[in-house]
Amino acid sequence: MAQAGKGKLNFRCPSCFMRDIDMDMFYDPDKKEYYCLRCQYRGSEEDVLEKNEMARFRYGAIAKRFTDFEI
Amino acid sequence: MDGFVLNIIHRPEMVPEYAEKVTGHGKEEDISRKALLTESLDIFRFQQDTAHKNGLKTTIQMTYASLFNEEAISLAKEHHETYGDEIALTLLGLPCKEFRDKYKTKDFCIWMFSMEDKKSIVDDVFGKFKEIFGFYPESTGSYYMDADLVNYIKEKYPSVKCAVATCWEEGPKAYHTCNNSWYTFMDGGPWNPWIPSKANVHAPAANEEEDSGIVAIPHLSRDLLACYDGNGSNFGTHPQNVLRGMIYDTKTWEYPYLYNLIDQYRSLEKYNNGYSYNMMFVGPGWLNKMGRWEAPYELLCKSYEDGMKYYGDLKKEGKLTDMTMSEFADHYRSKKTYEEPECALWRDILYGSDKQLFWYCDPYMRACINMDQGGAVTDLRPYAAKLYWPVGIGTPHVWDASYPFLIQEKYRAGYFTHYAGEGTVRSAKLSYRGEEVDLCLCRTHAKFEEEETVNGKKARILVLDPVEIRFRDLTVELETRVIFEEGSSEIRHLRRILSMSDKNAKVSLNEYMVACYGTTEYSEDMTGIVLSVEGRDKIEIPYEYRCREASEEGAECAVALIPQIDTKVTFGPDRRNGSCYIREGYAFSPMFTLGYTTELKDQEEVTTWLRLEKAN
Repeated sequence: MAQAGKGKLNFRCPSCFMRDIDMDMFYDPDKKEYYCLRCQYRGSEEDVLEKNEMARFRYGAIAKRFTDFEI
Repeated sequence: MDGFVLNIIHRPEMVPEYAEKVTGHGKEEDISRKALLTESLDIFRFQQDTAHKNGLKTTIQMTYASLFNEEAISLAKEHHETYGDEIALTLLGLPCKEFRDKYKTKDFCIWMFSMEDKKSIVDDVFGKFKEIFGFYPESTGSYYMDADLVNYIKEKYPSVKCAVATCWEEGPKAYHTCNNSWYTFMDGGPWNPWIPSKANVHAPAANEEEDSGIVAIPHLSRDLLACYDGNGSNFGTHPQNVLRGMIYDTKTWEYPYLYNLIDQYRSLEKYNNGYSYNMMFVGPGWLNKMGRWEAPYELLCKSYEDGMKYYGDLKKEGKLTDMTMSEFADHYRSKKTYEEPECALWRDILYGSDKQLFWYCDPYMRACINMDQGGAVTDLRPYAAKLYWPVGIGTPHVWDASYPFLIQEKYRAGYFTHYAGEGTVRSAKLSYRGEEVDLCLCRTHAKFEEEETVNGKKARILVLDPVEIRFRDLTVELETRVIFEEGSSEIRHLRRILSMSDKNAKVSLNEYMVACYGTTEYSEDMTGIVLSVEGRDKIEIPYEYRCREASEEGAECAVALIPQIDTKVTFGPDRRNGSCYIREGYAFSPMFTLGYTTELKDQEEVTTWLRLEKAN
């Protein structure tokens, strides 16, 4: 098995991102998947992007434009 | 001081942070690679052009490496002539072949060098700057500037009047986010510009004698709620931070959060005599042509262009004044008094909750009042101590530049703890017939008021919406006011019973502060702290983790002396019918408590105060 490298972008581990850790993943060309050096997450690009959407669950106001900052 | 002021800063960093790690992956390290230098200048040019296109002036902070690059120098000169940009000098961006050859180290954070090296580097960099431009800079900066460094620069290069001097709340949280590889902490500073004291850059000067001679600005304007809980580098006026935090729509590439953040900062003028401030300082590494994090280069550029356009449009509408750093320093000094506090009533703009915090900063303290916890103090830094805290190699704090806390709800729990022990918080408990309710569980909101006091000074008052406390046999409506009187070094909590379902009932009130000291999430040695109750006699408990307590009816106050951070905390009531008490912690709960208990009837009120002083 050949060494892993960077993928086309710096995809971070979605699982670590959800616990506030930025872990760049590496790409395994044989398995065509990204994997995390810290935790056990691994997945295809499609899976990474899907999980990144999931990570946004807490941003309830991500699409909201505020005009008043008093409550 | 009035109006919304913006500082935009760019630096031609010949070896952009991250770039060598990211673009150089799979190659042997070579910080003088031609491709890296070309890319860096392209990014710098793009940033400058984007600002100018939107009618905004910038401060160009030349890096040491860029002083060896003809093209970077001529760009700076040209932009100064054409657009009025200030040519300044940053102590970021030290790494380059010339630096490494001379200093034989890969260290790059100026505050972390030995004092001897700091002086030598400063002289080198300032000397080279003078040689090229013919004058010394008026502005400088880094991610952090320790007091000894600032004092040296000011003494040797008195033209310097402004510096980027801290990154708000970049401490253990930033360290964790970087997989425990961001080896420096700088929590506990102001979030908006301030005049640093000579003793400690994070602590604002109280008078001319303490004045370090510069105006400090923070690196970026950060979300005062999201950054306190999460990674600071996701939630600031740095468009690529917002991408790092994934706070954008992946289909439309829209990020209203960035504009909400800028607008919330603008709204802070209500609490600061009409003045508000923003700072944007994006290093070139964030506009890497290979993309950054999950964002392609096109999105990185778009976010930068959008951010600048937003500022540019505000300027066109007459809602923003762009200044260079040195212009801002003059403006700030002409408008702000030493003791005028910086205030921020801040709402959540990210999760969509109604959570609200109030941040207060003056020469005596930085405090956070949490309306989601009934007006509890959930962060407290005793600036009154003006703690001398040297930083860098050869000092006791090689990497830790944070100003110590007495209360920090994230690193020392707060109200909620697991299993046993207590967390740091200053709150109150009401009890009645065996039931007890902590105000930390009474979610509410606040409005901001100001009141004239003596000598033209003001008190800033948070008026919290009343909360209802329901006991089995009694319902109590309680109002809290949190009062900060300018120059007093005190936080006063006024509790007023607005109504009771039983007019003859009496409830017990326990006002308390659980505290300790530290800069990280791990406990420090509490030995040496002395607790006392001052009343008819002085009762003392030297801290030995023995879980002791003492109280006295009618006492004046409870006191904690914390020699480790030169701080004295005094906690007391404005009346004598009640008891002041002290509590030592124990090994599993390395905290101390100062408190006051009394009884309250319907329509009664009581004020307790927490005073911070230098211990000696």
